[in-house]
Amino acid sequence: MHRRSMSAITVTHLSKSFGRVRAVDDLSFDVERGTVTAFLGPNGAGKTTTLRMILGLVTPTWGSALVDGRPYRELADPLATVGAVLEAAAFHPGLTARVHLETLRTAAGLAPERVAHVLEQVDLTEAADRRVGGFSLGMRQRLALAGALLGDPGTLILDEPANGLDPAGVHWLRGFLRAYALQGRTVLVSTHVLAEIQQIADHAIIISEGQAVFTGPLTPGSDLEEIYLEAIR
Amino acid sequence: MNRLIRAELLRARASRTVRTLAVLAPVTCVLWAGLGVALMGTDGPLPADDRVRNVYAMAQQAYVFTLLLGISGTAGEFRHQTITWRFLVTPDRGRVVDAKLAAYGIIGLAVAAVAALATLAAGALLLRLGGHPVTAPGVPAALAGAVVTVTGYGLLGVGLGALIRNQTTAVVVAMLWFMYADYLLTMLLPGLGRWLPAGAARALAGMSIGDAELLPAWAGGALFAAYVLAIVMAARLIALRRDVA
Repeated sequence: MHRRSMSAITVTHLSKSFGRVRAVDDLSFDVERGTVTAFLGPNGAGKTTTLRMILGLVTPTWGSALVDGRPYRELADPLATVGAVLEAAAFHPGLTARVHLETLRTAAGLAPERVAHVLEQVDLTEAADRRVGGFSLGMRQRLALAGALLGDPGTLILDEPANGLDPAGVHWLRGFLRAYALQGRTVLVSTHVLAEIQQIADHAIIISEGQAVFTGPLTPGSDLEEIYLEAIR
Repeated sequence: MNRLIRAELLRARASRTVRTLAVLAPVTCVLWAGLGVALMGTDGPLPADDRVRNVYAMAQQAYVFTLLLGISGTAGEFRHQTITWRFLVTPDRGRVVDAKLAAYGIIGLAVAAVAALATLAAGALLLRLGGHPVTAPGVPAALAGAVVTVTGYGLLGVGLGALIRNQTTAVVVAMLWFMYADYLLTMLLPGLGRWLPAGAARALAGMSIGDAELLPAWAGGALFAAYVLAIVMAARLIALRRDVA
């Protein structure tokens, strides 16, 4: 029990049915602190639903998902505990990047200087006062990441964060996540780009049809693509 | 709670939709007041005092805009999927809606007050230019009632948007109901009209349609508040519990 409470994220018998479809089926895994964990699986395997259950956006049919030992909805300070970049993160097109972040910061009761800080972190300072409607997909991803970083959380959950990033952006994100984990923080990232994630991940969770088909550490010599193709077969 | 309300106000202030609706509200009231003055010269069953009062009562025409503001404050967030950010920051979804009620109550009150002042100024000016009496008994009450009613519609909009979630549907339902269905029902069944939301609002403003009877203002206010509360409770029990995917 003690070891489990040390995990950043604990998923236990997590299940979600949409009508008769079992999107997530009795899924259990731990994400250890200070690791980068790759969350992999084919399209429709249940990755996004799982991440949204961890974040309290989708209610599980069964089982539980804990962040720092508590359900997301019971966290006293969610933004300071876990930051989330969701797939195709949505923004109001008429608002500027700065207003979007300022709204989140105000609601979360964070220090005013955090907005300028996270804009700097994701290299969006120059575009901060432009309307998000005119942003490229890559800029939106950076803005989503800025929102996730606002509370300076110990854990980051990212759903396809490299989507829309150009090669320089992908390179930058890799460096950023690696540095983030080296500070003892935790990253759980879902992606399809295996070659990319293999460079920074030290754990992998592979799911297929809502069930875990592989969980384990990745060693420098291991071939993630081979593990993946073997696991989902 | 305060910081959630401040965040809502911050977002609203930066929104072009909010600014547009807030400007259109007094403009519309002024146009209605102008129409009221223009019709003063024609023959009609109403005594002159009532007609003067009705010019100022046009301040309540701002209700459409506060209703739309409220709907956009909740359903607009579902439409743009920005509600995800709200719920990530504040997982207690009821508190998010409470903050919106407070914020759009403040915004609605501001819009209502400006609309009432604009109606008062334009009405007085136009009545004087037209050579009509500028004031009549009951004018202050009509203006005050309009401010309360217009603010109330903003709260109703927040509740409707949270309950229906689809912005287009919410706007269509609200417009059909408050612009047509309610009037039709009140005309057909005058006894029923006063119990409907718009009838309660009219009681607050002291404005009846034709011969339809109204509740006393206090009872109309209480009934209107009960409608808002019922819609918000329904939203909490049904719509807010749904998955955000």
